[in-house]
Amino acid sequence: MNTTSASTGPWQSPPQADATSPAVDAGATAPNRSEMNVDFMGRRGALFWLALKTGVLTILTLGFYRFWMKTRLRRWYWSSIRPGGHPMEYVGDPIEKLLGFFIAVVILTFYIGILNLILMFVSFSVFNSSWLGYIASFAGVIPLWFYATYRARRYVLGRTRWRGVRFGLEKGAWGYAWRALVHWCVTILSLGLLWPRMTFWLEKYRTDRTFFGSARMVQDGHWPMLYRAAIPFIFSVICLGAAALWLLWLAPVFPEGVGSGEDMIGAAEAFLEDRYVDQQWRDPQRLAILPLILFGLLFGAIYYRWVSKRILANHKTAPGIRFASTLSGVRVSFIYIFGNFIAYLILVLGIGLMVMLAFVTFADSSMFLAGVPGGSLLGGLPRWLSLLILGLLYLSVFLMWGVLYQTFVTFPLMRHMARTTSLPDMTGLSQISQRARDEFAEAEGFAEALDLGAAI
Amino acid sequence: MSTGFDAGTASFFDGDSPVAQDARLLIDADVLWITPDTGAPVRWPLQDVRQLRDIAGRQGVSLRLTTDPLARLFLTHKGVLRHFPHLNKRAAPQGRGRLLGWALAAVAAVALQIFVLIPLLADNLAGFIPAQGERALGEATFGHIREALDETGLSPVEICENADGVAALTVLTERLNVQDDPAKGLSVAVLDHPMVNAFALPGGYVVLFRGLIEAANGPDEVAAVLAHEIGHVVSRDPTRNALRSAGSIGVLGLLFGDFAGGAAVLFLTERLISAQYSQAAEVGADAFAHVTLENAGISPGALGDMFESMRKAHGDADGLTAHFLSHPSLGSRIDAARAVVSSQGTYTASLDAAAWADLQTICDR
Repeated sequence: MNTTSASTGPWQSPPQADATSPAVDAGATAPNRSEMNVDFMGRRGALFWLALKTGVLTILTLGFYRFWMKTRLRRWYWSSIRPGGHPMEYVGDPIEKLLGFFIAVVILTFYIGILNLILMFVSFSVFNSSWLGYIASFAGVIPLWFYATYRARRYVLGRTRWRGVRFGLEKGAWGYAWRALVHWCVTILSLGLLWPRMTFWLEKYRTDRTFFGSARMVQDGHWPMLYRAAIPFIFSVICLGAAALWLLWLAPVFPEGVGSGEDMIGAAEAFLEDRYVDQQWRDPQRLAILPLILFGLLFGAIYYRWVSKRILANHKTAPGIRFASTLSGVRVSFIYIFGNFIAYLILVLGIGLMVMLAFVTFADSSMFLAGVPGGSLLGGLPRWLSLLILGLLYLSVFLMWGVLYQTFVTFPLMRHMARTTSLPDMTGLSQISQRARDEFAEAEGFAEALDLGAAI
Repeated sequence: MSTGFDAGTASFFDGDSPVAQDARLLIDADVLWITPDTGAPVRWPLQDVRQLRDIAGRQGVSLRLTTDPLARLFLTHKGVLRHFPHLNKRAAPQGRGRLLGWALAAVAAVALQIFVLIPLLADNLAGFIPAQGERALGEATFGHIREALDETGLSPVEICENADGVAALTVLTERLNVQDDPAKGLSVAVLDHPMVNAFALPGGYVVLFRGLIEAANGPDEVAAVLAHEIGHVVSRDPTRNALRSAGSIGVLGLLFGDFAGGAAVLFLTERLISAQYSQAAEVGADAFAHVTLENAGISPGALGDMFESMRKAHGDADGLTAHFLSHPSLGSRIDAARAVVSSQGTYTASLDAAAWADLQTICDR
């Protein structure tokens, strides 16, 4: 299942953020009635079964069905989104995805295999250690990563339609890749202060190359406007700084300093067990504000990511078309946290079960399970059967994680995105005509091979 | 459009403009006539109409025509659907030849990479890694292996350090490592682990397991295994293997990616590759051991004896299973070792009884 990278969410590539478009024919006939809303029709239960069914098939086919799974999920999501009551349509073909994957493998296998080997060699020959090789081999993939992201977006937009008219993204993946690299460098050098600048310019690069039919979209606005979205995050960072100042310097919790991590863990254990604490700690319960601040940072990051999308969407136009989004950063954060909680709960429970079964299978059962009721029953199973059960459990845990992520994260996010988007003006719709098909042999093969193939 | 019957209304999209046209539908014989408010009627033969699949929600159906990739008809009432005979018929597959071509190319590229290019490059580069670098590589790998072997998950498997045992091991090592070009920086260690096995790592590391010493019938068998592993060190097999897996792990990771079963497939494949690699290397190391033992005045047959007891413990692995164990079929190796024993040679035990007793207690504390 591909859901690991699902956090990018649908909107990254799909239709609607850029999405432009819609307008009801009403727009043409009755210009004063020209506000169009976006509806979302799909139900959670239907998605759950579709994700489960396609996920099982993916496992049974050793992963090859994932191209079909992805296609079918996209068809479902796209058709749920109905600007002006008419569904979006995803026309991507699983076979072209499979073909694209093969093409990417042919090209990347040489790049990655030989590069890794040479980097390892250089790393050990010159620096006597492996970590440099690992870092360099990771860094070598970064430009490809940006390249693949843009190409994947181009593919998805090229296969998205609304009212029979195609979306499209102009060529420009290498231009995107080097710009992204430069923006990342600037962002890192500025200690993250210029992050909104990167968000804005990269989104502008993409949006200005996005088409709906013959209409080109434009990203208006200025990058400083995105600082508004960063307020919760900045606030959390300030809190973190203030807390650090308070706990370490103004009224130190550890006046004698902390010798090492081990000392600290030992002392923490002693404190929790209510034993005598030999180090002079002052009010260590104040440390409890740290998890709170970390939670604030997490919330701030999600909030920035999505509210910046909202601000950007409100500044996207096409000739005679405007967008409006009332997306709620708080609601999106709730979806993320609640949805991930459910998905990871299953993951943790499943892994716990697996570990128990593994113990039963591999440990000396007579000793270990002597006192466990039912233990002898499990331990009595033939070893191959235990292994089979273990394997099935492993696969189903990851399957369920993916399905629940779709159901409780991707689905509500998509729905919220759709329902909070509207088009206050789409008088330009009648001027738009069809655009040519973007033939695209390698589809999203690079993104797939590099494992960043967006969740859906 | 005359004799047909009214099939209600729908939104029609002509495939050029994103403006919905309210259209009246009329079914006449086997043709659907779509008449937009403005413009000429459009003719859709009923048998060429298809329904879009995986549509969410119960409201609304999108229809398309097989001969027109763009035009769409969006209906909100489903009663009319029964008039279309092939709504869900799939299109005949296209471009399968091209797909097959690229699939074969992908398999060929991966195979070429894993079985030819990476081994070739690894074998050549292995000779150029400076000793220090090799040592660092071995050290890192040794640490990983000690952690991986540990079952409690708390601390790496211990290295046995009983002083008398270490002294006996040093005597044994020095007796073997005396050929014209002795392996430099050789370090031999015993791991406190019950497995009957031994391995070599880059940078001259040779590791024996406690289980192997316990299973051996006398010091000569341990000496034989040690000589075999020194053979690997001298020919730099471990370094080659490490470089090779650095390359092929990247390629295989690319193929299996995030699929949940990927790890298992990856493991199996990597196992297959390294086993195949080792077959030739193992035979080479065996040959090295025969010569070394002979030169040191120890019977090369001891290697055969060691394999014999391994075979008694685990059974032979011929055929398919042999491919998955990183050692060639034991039977042929036993025969090879015994064939080298010369009838008029005078052999002495590799360690005296006291030293052998010390070596057996190397893991005692």
